[in-house]
Amino acid sequence: MKLRNFKTPALVCCLFLLATAAGFAFDYASIEDDVTEFSLDNGLKVIVMERHNAPVASFVTFANVGGANDPKEYTGIAHMLEHMAFKGTKDLGTTDLEAEMEAMRVEDSIWHELRAERKKGDLADSARIAQLEVDFEKAIEEANQYVDANAIWRTYEEEGGVGLNAGTGMDMTVYFVNLPSNKAELWFAIESERFYRPVFREMYKERNVVAEERRMTLENSPISKLIDQLKSAAFTAHPYGVAIIGHMSDIQNYSRAAVRRHLEKYYVPSNMCIAIVGDVDPEKMHKLAKKYWGRLPASPEPEELATVEPEQEGERRVYLEDPSQPFFAAAWHIPHDRHPDWPAVQAMVDYLGQGRTSLLYKDLVKEQKIAAQAGAFAGMPGSKYPSLAMVYAVPTTDATNEECEEAVFNQVERMKEELLPEEEVEKIKARAKAQFIRGLTSNQGMAMQLAGYEVLSGDWRDMFNELDRINAVSAEDIQRVAKEYFTKKNRTVAYLQTTEE
Amino acid sequence: MRMHKILLAVAILLLGFGVATVGAQDVESIDYPKLNEFDIPDVEKITLDNGMRIYLLEDHTLPLFYVNCRITVGSYLEPADKIGLAGICGNVMRTGGTEKWTGDEIDEMLEGIGGTVEHGIDLTDGSAYVNVLSDYKELGMEVLAEVLRRPVFEEDKIELAKTQARSGISRRNDDIADISLREWKKLMYGEDSPYARHPEYATINAITRDDLVAFHQQWYHPQNIQMAIRGDFDRDQIMELVNKYFGDWPEGSVEVPSPPPVDYDWRSQVYYIEKTNAEQSYVRCGHIGGLQTDPDYADRIVMNSVLGGGFGSRITETVRREMGLAYSAGGNYISNFDYPGYFICVASTKLASTVQAAQAMIDQTRSMLTEKPTPKEMAQAKDGYLNSFVFNFDSPGEVINRIMTYDYYGLPEDRLQTIKERIENITPEDVMEAARNNLRPDEMVVLVVGDADRFETPLEELGLGPVTQIDITIPSGEETEELVVNEETRAMGHELLTKAAEAHGGLDEFKKVTAVSRKATMTMSTPQGEIPLSVEELKVYPDKSRAVISVMGQQMYDIRNGQTGWKPSQMGSLEAKTEEDIMKEDRELNRDLIWVLQHAGDPQLDAVYVGPGNVNGVDIEYVAVLDDNAEPVGRFAFDIETHQLVAVSYWTETFMGDGTVVDHVTAMMTTSGLMLPKIVKKELNGNDFGKVEVSELTINPEVPENAFAKPQ
Repeated sequence: MKLRNFKTPALVCCLFLLATAAGFAFDYASIEDDVTEFSLDNGLKVIVMERHNAPVASFVTFANVGGANDPKEYTGIAHMLEHMAFKGTKDLGTTDLEAEMEAMRVEDSIWHELRAERKKGDLADSARIAQLEVDFEKAIEEANQYVDANAIWRTYEEEGGVGLNAGTGMDMTVYFVNLPSNKAELWFAIESERFYRPVFREMYKERNVVAEERRMTLENSPISKLIDQLKSAAFTAHPYGVAIIGHMSDIQNYSRAAVRRHLEKYYVPSNMCIAIVGDVDPEKMHKLAKKYWGRLPASPEPEELATVEPEQEGERRVYLEDPSQPFFAAAWHIPHDRHPDWPAVQAMVDYLGQGRTSLLYKDLVKEQKIAAQAGAFAGMPGSKYPSLAMVYAVPTTDATNEECEEAVFNQVERMKEELLPEEEVEKIKARAKAQFIRGLTSNQGMAMQLAGYEVLSGDWRDMFNELDRINAVSAEDIQRVAKEYFTKKNRTVAYLQTTEE
Repeated sequence: MRMHKILLAVAILLLGFGVATVGAQDVESIDYPKLNEFDIPDVEKITLDNGMRIYLLEDHTLPLFYVNCRITVGSYLEPADKIGLAGICGNVMRTGGTEKWTGDEIDEMLEGIGGTVEHGIDLTDGSAYVNVLSDYKELGMEVLAEVLRRPVFEEDKIELAKTQARSGISRRNDDIADISLREWKKLMYGEDSPYARHPEYATINAITRDDLVAFHQQWYHPQNIQMAIRGDFDRDQIMELVNKYFGDWPEGSVEVPSPPPVDYDWRSQVYYIEKTNAEQSYVRCGHIGGLQTDPDYADRIVMNSVLGGGFGSRITETVRREMGLAYSAGGNYISNFDYPGYFICVASTKLASTVQAAQAMIDQTRSMLTEKPTPKEMAQAKDGYLNSFVFNFDSPGEVINRIMTYDYYGLPEDRLQTIKERIENITPEDVMEAARNNLRPDEMVVLVVGDADRFETPLEELGLGPVTQIDITIPSGEETEELVVNEETRAMGHELLTKAAEAHGGLDEFKKVTAVSRKATMTMSTPQGEIPLSVEELKVYPDKSRAVISVMGQQMYDIRNGQTGWKPSQMGSLEAKTEEDIMKEDRELNRDLIWVLQHAGDPQLDAVYVGPGNVNGVDIEYVAVLDDNAEPVGRFAFDIETHQLVAVSYWTETFMGDGTVVDHVTAMMTTSGLMLPKIVKKELNGNDFGKVEVSELTINPEVPENAFAKPQ
């Protein structure tokens, strides 16, 4: 065994032994006891966890749909739908539903004509396009007069809701809010209604908002742009290669019908889960769930995505030229998060690139001082399907991407050549445990985890099995996954290269 | 069968009716139960004999232990020529080791248990926190005490922090939101204000270990520290630990000065920063703001909410929703405890609609003075605050930290209740009054970062007068320190140069030098490894020289002959020197030790005394030699006792990037009675850059004919 190079200061070893001896008597079962679950007749799973320290509660709606489910010509539609879900319902958000619906029909029909004419390309009638654009603007203004804007937000906020928001990932879409616990019924009423009878008002204005979001978060950020290109180079078949926010041209061509199709396919009770954590009574929650969420009709679960990324057959390299400062990243294909190798990959990446004692930080930042920051993480851009483990380095003013690349790959090689000493593996596990316990602190974090495990893993109890999974990892496992996945053939390398402005 | 179908149909029908009864009417008519009573947890306050203030709150929900300290310190206390000192001090106190452990040992210990101890210094306070599983509370407390009381500031970690700071400087123009915020603060507080200024290469380079040690010693005393402890612990046990690790810390005597006041220049003005590679522009408009302790602070909470506080507010409604111009848009009158905040409206928008977004935000600000909040706006703002009030108390961390903050500022513990009562009773007239007293839509500063060529409407259309463009070029590390150039410093500079000339062999001997030749070997440290090269150089003062550089079997020439010369081209052949090259060389002659020393006392050479310093542990005095524009060309560091040269530092362009080069003289040689550098170690921005070793040095050598002709 080659242990020589992974030195652990003697002092730290002693300390660790002490810690293990002190033992750790925290009982997860007590947490599990506070959880009540039930299913509605339409297939919706409801999870309630009681926590009575303060009269508040967190409410989460978790949908098993994300960027990975976007249809090819409508990339980003899962994210658009998340935006549209805040536009209200038939009752909430309008001043005159009938007139509004009619105005929206006009909007849609002009939009479809305009889209069709534009797509004729060189054969398009430019005068007709110009006229349609004028009509379209007019139709948008017409529909806009009936909008009672942001009724959902306003109602939640007036009733004391905080932290209201939603997020779209590659694997999921999640909606959340914290309310004083006596306002639980408000959440049931609004939340069920917005998936049961949503109205996608302000569709075409919101499209522009999303386009701005794309500019702000992706196009204006050279590092985000680089990572986006790294992903698209790494994934040739699987939708993980397309940014969650979607391509600009797709965003500009979204229609109300496309959003509706997506909702009808994926926002069905069997494909969703709701979780409530806080000062609530499970019985009452059950009654409210039946009353409100029970209205959603049962519907077949959507088909799982079948696309599989073919094995990578050689290193890929991506260069982005930009006036900003250099940045280095590289990524390897790794298995999905339910795969038996997942915990070992997590452990490997932790030792390689998380924290000040990681190999990358110690070598590139502390010793060589060629990077101002360096790190690694696994599960990009999602983890439900086989994904990527990524390393990155931010070169210092005097260093280059090339130097960082060499140093990073040297450290990755060490993970293959040298077996980790047992105490280092124990430290990885200790970190995982501390991180797990911290994850139980907030009501909202707890609710998201419970719903997430239920939807993505099939059972919320799996949340409490994660530690067992990581505790089963051995030094040999870590070395084996390093050798198996972190190969040259399996990696994509990306450089942000500085150009003169 | 048939019966079953009918029942099903009835069920569906009923379901349908059910839907009709559960609609919006229900959202408004839901009968909410009363909020469950709960006790706001009690925080115990203890003051130690040495003045340190402790706050305790037990919470046994999870096996976690937290400490959060507030320290009376801040970057406003650092000197203007060492901006970044407080930040680096805060960082290295944690990373640079303590009397008991090295920084790396602390990292290993904490990461081995998944724990965190961090420390940092911000604008007007410092903070330190511990977050560990409750089994490790003693370790957490001991590390905290070591970091706060006994940091040793390892050189290596100082260098690391400085390298990271320089990297941050080099990247600070990469993101338009960062640029916008940084420059905005300068427009509000003045660019030299402690609330706006930021580090530059020169101010980071100027920071030494002694500075860090002194900063820590000056400000870190127990009476300046408040410590909030919460989580899974036993009160008596934890007080034992507090006393064990902090009880013997003697009280210091220093008075910490208050953060300085702000002198704001009320004006209407548009500022523009060009960023051509951006797809969006970032627009800010506003003016100086107020304090949290202002009497109408509660009124301003409602004002903010109506104007720009999220969905439903006037700015978000107009800019984001109605005009579809931006993903993010909002406005906020910011109030701080220590110094005035600012009123700010922000939008990031597509380039074409930049001016429309700015105009819309100004218009909405003006509407606050003329249009009373509607009942809907009032309800949203007031109900929102009042109904969410419970969230001020739902986590022990919020409760204890707020009590600590109020205690620091001497505010009553029930301050939040007072604010709540005011908001319960506030009227639309009060909100308009607050807007009239606090907002000045006719005196707005507008800052736009973006690409003006792609704006649909020019910025001038805002009607706020001519547009001022701000240059955000990052200054080189060249000494930005204000040199005092006057008769006195010139006289002192030449006096020191004369002493140095004597120490190096005598002024008269130097004056006799007309030419010099050298053979030297050089090692350049590059990312590709060390590159050895040899140089043969002949120089006739002031403007003739010939250098033959051999590298990896190749020879390159560099010739200077009066106003002409040749240099190696990219292709490996020779090309003529440009006028710019010639000017640069003439300037750099002022960095040549022989040239400088032979002009000691000669007013033709512009040199000024800078002051004392320390290089590699040697006490020195600096003389700066200036060019025709009175800009420094190089700084000579002479030993304060022997007057021998210790180092020369200067800003220059190199193949490794621009930066400050320091030539450290590590050995001298004597030729023709003159003592001159033999070995010079070169540093670029604090990193090893190479070494020069002179093997032969001849004063006034024979100069061959055609020595300075273009080689064939």
